[in-house]
Amino acid sequence: GNDIALRKLSELQAGEKCCVVGTLFKDMQLQPSILQEISEEHNLVPQPPLPKYIQPSDELILEDELQRIKLEGAIDVQRLVTGTILAVYGSEQDDGRFLVEDHCFADLPPPLPWNGPSSDRFVLLASGLGLGSVSGEALLSTQLLVDVVTGQLGAEGEQSCAAHIARVILAGNLLSQNTQSRDTINKAKYLTKKTQAASVEAVKMLDEILLQLCTSVPVDVMPGEFDPTNYTLPQQPLHRCMLPLASAYATLRLVTNPYQANLDGVRFLGTSGQNISDIFKYSSMDDYLEILEWTLLAGHISPTAPDTLGCYPFYKSDPFILTECPHVYFCGNAPHFQSKLLQGNEGQRVLLLTVPDFSATQTACLVNLRDLSCQPITFSGFGADSED
Amino acid sequence: MADELYLENIDEFVTDQNRVVTYKWLSYTLGVHVNQAKQMLYDYVERKRKENSGAQLHVTYLVAGNLLQNGHVCHKVAVVREDKLEAMKSKLSTIASVHVYSIQKALLKDSSPLYNTDYDIVKTNLQHCSKFSAIHCAAAVPRTPPDAPRAPASAQSPQRQRDADAAGAVNGHGPPAAKPPPQQHRGIMGMFAAKAAAKPQDTHKEAKAEAKEAPGVSAASSKPPTKNSIMNNFFGKAAMNKLKVNSVPEQPKEEKEVVKPSVAVAEPESSPNTVAEKPGKKTEPARIQQKDKKSKTKRADRSDDEEERDPENVKKKRKRIKQLQSDSSDEEADVPPSPTPEEEGAPSPPPVPALKTELEPASTEVSAGGRKRKRKRVLKSKMFIDEEEGCMGKTGCALHSLELTLLLTI
Repeated sequence: GNDIALRKLSELQAGEKCCVVGTLFKDMQLQPSILQEISEEHNLVPQPPLPKYIQPSDELILEDELQRIKLEGAIDVQRLVTGTILAVYGSEQDDGRFLVEDHCFADLPPPLPWNGPSSDRFVLLASGLGLGSVSGEALLSTQLLVDVVTGQLGAEGEQSCAAHIARVILAGNLLSQNTQSRDTINKAKYLTKKTQAASVEAVKMLDEILLQLCTSVPVDVMPGEFDPTNYTLPQQPLHRCMLPLASAYATLRLVTNPYQANLDGVRFLGTSGQNISDIFKYSSMDDYLEILEWTLLAGHISPTAPDTLGCYPFYKSDPFILTECPHVYFCGNAPHFQSKLLQGNEGQRVLLLTVPDFSATQTACLVNLRDLSCQPITFSGFGADSED
Repeated sequence: MADELYLENIDEFVTDQNRVVTYKWLSYTLGVHVNQAKQMLYDYVERKRKENSGAQLHVTYLVAGNLLQNGHVCHKVAVVREDKLEAMKSKLSTIASVHVYSIQKALLKDSSPLYNTDYDIVKTNLQHCSKFSAIHCAAAVPRTPPDAPRAPASAQSPQRQRDADAAGAVNGHGPPAAKPPPQQHRGIMGMFAAKAAAKPQDTHKEAKAEAKEAPGVSAASSKPPTKNSIMNNFFGKAAMNKLKVNSVPEQPKEEKEVVKPSVAVAEPESSPNTVAEKPGKKTEPARIQQKDKKSKTKRADRSDDEEERDPENVKKKRKRIKQLQSDSSDEEADVPPSPTPEEEGAPSPPPVPALKTELEPASTEVSAGGRKRKRKRVLKSKMFIDEEEGCMGKTGCALHSLELTLLLTI
């Protein structure tokens, strides 16, 4: 309401109920700190990566342009992460802490007009193909995926459905984590000189798969955590020199991570999952879909970005702030497939989608652009231990 | 009967050659549509089973359908062995398709032989992997420049009169893959051109031309500059004036493109510039423009510049005909297709925007450098056979440069 006073931290008076807007900083003990690691006086062994770094002793601090203040009260310390912009309502205590009575986020950004198609048009989303991994189980599933999309698999009905797939989006981690280490750091040079990086073979395989896909459908390829591109967000597109066969086709589109596009009037926005998994590590939220929804409400794709996730040091403007509400908001490399249609107060309709890791789940997602419905597709072969 | 033939084929593959015959493999091998291949496999299985109930045939099927899982509908596509087929079918609430995936003599433990078969056959047919597929995409056309030497002669002339106003201009032959050899040559040429540029009296002239081209050069992140730089590094000499190296090779490149009809891609692309002169070429430029990046426009500028220089070069060459007879004749021979349109272009600057006029004075100044460049072109020609340098031999080139140095000292 208008009767609440909006104050800057420097203007706070003890005991006065007011509203303050600022950026959160979460002080975490377990947070990996490079300074601590290299500090000699501590003699610390570098901490192994943990799935979650949260601890009960974490504290929230609100910062605005000039000052910072500790927060306590009706605020879920475990759930929030550094970098969130929020407004808190409460009053300053005598001991210098701010007692929070309520808080709120930026909420959903303003909606985009809907220009979706009137007939069934599908977009296939897959992520985490994980090529180059040691195990070849997912290879047949990948081949089945390609076959379905290119219309070779399935009876006539299935093929005609597949013919309506207007776009395929590969959301990151096309290469597997196994392709990452080359042992050049650990082993002596004379041992590793002749060995090729595992990613070379994997990229060749990727090229062949993309070639098959490109001959029949436009493909957007986003880089991911394990792909040969830069580490910091926003990740640049894979270079087309790595994909000589597939690059010859205009249907291959190498795009950035995060990726925003208008497909047939439907606005897609998504990442390869690094932002969500980073928040997962520093927050008590466990569900990828919940985290995805929360980033949308907070108005920022990746609040933890410069702090714990590598990010280009933008200083004038932050491109990760959500200024418009997309129609489909996805993240790749999630552990499971989840989807939810979110309705906003201003008429926003967003399909939240967590695209599962294909190498683990052999599942891809099919989104119908007409009504924003979504369906997972699972592929499987049969193994020595034929279950089901 | 044609029908019987394929049955025999499949029989041969499965029993005699002991292959794993997947529908995809059969489709590529017999050259039939995938659906037809599936039908063939099905027929074969039916017949074989009827004839000989003890047939050693193991069949795998592909089942696809909807499954109710965790409350929502999930689509499942699975390859199953025959014995598990019914179980899978019963699990699915609705079945979208069932068809034969493969036939083989031996019982498969897992699906990797299926994958390997498909992988091998696709690998050998990568270029037309969608030929027998049920879905065809109109947009999936490979970008290969040398798909047709379209109207080489007429294309070349427009290219000559490239306008500086190449705002949309192209020339960016997109896929570098098609032109590595010519570019390498140009790279070598560029290297020599750079060496020529080192001559003091030309540096200031070069600098001017460079100033015009520098933005273009820096902007041009296209393959040609990179190839040139590769060549430069390889020779390890043209470090003095990197920009020059980059810019100059662009120009000889343009010329080379003129004389080489096979690399016609860039030529039609240049035509946007010549829209004023050759209205007929409009369709091509429009097409190419879509594909090309903005940086290419700078290249067009440079090439334009280069074209401007050509008449001067030719004229300068004529002056020294007495010393370098064979050379100049060759170079003139090489230039003939171009100079004629150039001369047309040069006298008709009116449709040209300001940039071109700027280039013209620059080009005159650079003519001396151009002269050297021309020489270098000849030198370069020894690397590969050019129609222009028919009679030019290695020794000839060496002599040529020697005479040139003599001339300059005079």
